[in-house]
Amino acid sequence: MGSNRTGWLLLAPTLIILGGFGIVPFIYVLWVSFHQWNPFGANPAMIYNGADNFRRLVFDTEFLQSVWFTMQFGFFAVVSEIVIGYLLAQLLMRDFPGKSIFRTIHTLPLIVAPIVVGSVWRLMTTPSIGIIPYYLNHWFGYQMNIGSSATAAFVTTVVMDIWHWTPLVTLTLLAAIVGLPKDPFEQAQIDGANRWQIFWHITLPMIRPAILATVFIRLMDALRTVDEIWMLTGGGPGAATRYVGLHIWKIVFPKTDYGYGSAISVIVLYLTLVMCWLLYVGLVAPRVKRST
Amino acid sequence: MEHNIEEETPVPRGPKHGFLPIVTNWFDRLFIGIYLFVALELLWMRFLEQSIPLTVCHVLAIALGALIVWKG
Repeated sequence: MGSNRTGWLLLAPTLIILGGFGIVPFIYVLWVSFHQWNPFGANPAMIYNGADNFRRLVFDTEFLQSVWFTMQFGFFAVVSEIVIGYLLAQLLMRDFPGKSIFRTIHTLPLIVAPIVVGSVWRLMTTPSIGIIPYYLNHWFGYQMNIGSSATAAFVTTVVMDIWHWTPLVTLTLLAAIVGLPKDPFEQAQIDGANRWQIFWHITLPMIRPAILATVFIRLMDALRTVDEIWMLTGGGPGAATRYVGLHIWKIVFPKTDYGYGSAISVIVLYLTLVMCWLLYVGLVAPRVKRST
Repeated sequence: MEHNIEEETPVPRGPKHGFLPIVTNWFDRLFIGIYLFVALELLWMRFLEQSIPLTVCHVLAIALGALIVWKG
């Protein structure tokens, strides 16, 4: 009984913080999502409107388009980060001159604030002064302008995200690879397995939980990205890079439509959970063994 | 005084093998039920609400959720 009480006492700070900063705000957002509320409008009262915000949302082409763009952004960014991160983790498993300097420099993007990353990339991609359009034009004759080309803007946002977050993936996969037992690899080499077979049948299954955890973290981050994109493209050209986080920001802050913004936030949270759950079911959930 | 051990032993509420293809506990099934509830409501509002009222969807979604929690 005493140890039970001690256990709850030790858990209490975490539960209080989780409740105060996670669960209570979520319930409040859920509550607001069923209301029409514009606190800076002519009528600042919160008016219950049932499921009207959600009804509006499923017909809102701007929102649906932003969800589609966000899915594309999340897919390309996360897949690229996992592939490049894994290759870099394998590289860091080997010894080469300047390895520690490389590792330090490679990890530096992680400590840069997203808003700074966005502003630096904006400088680097501005046509008249940016280094990237200059070299793309100099080497390939390609006129890069993220202010007018939707494709260029989309690709730039993906590349920026890869640049910023691949080091995190590298570090998590490196930790997973370092922790792998040596025996199965030695056994496979003795049995004559080639590199691809070792990767596909031993390494990949053994680091699958680490990959999944990394994909979850990165996917959740990618789906709620705002500041980098806001700084780099502002959601443009047109609405080509108006990802869903930015869309929510535009609804809640410039338009001060808190009810509708909350409804979108709830649905985005729902979509994120569904995607992570589907990944979990597809990759690691234990299957039912049915006897035929 | 003899006790019937079978009657007193609580039934474990651990993993269950229902019609879902994965091993789940009751909380997993409740979660799946909520996912499907929300998905059905949104799809209904988008495609069917013009002809069939949303209340029908509430009933169907709750019934589906209960079925998943009970038999899933």
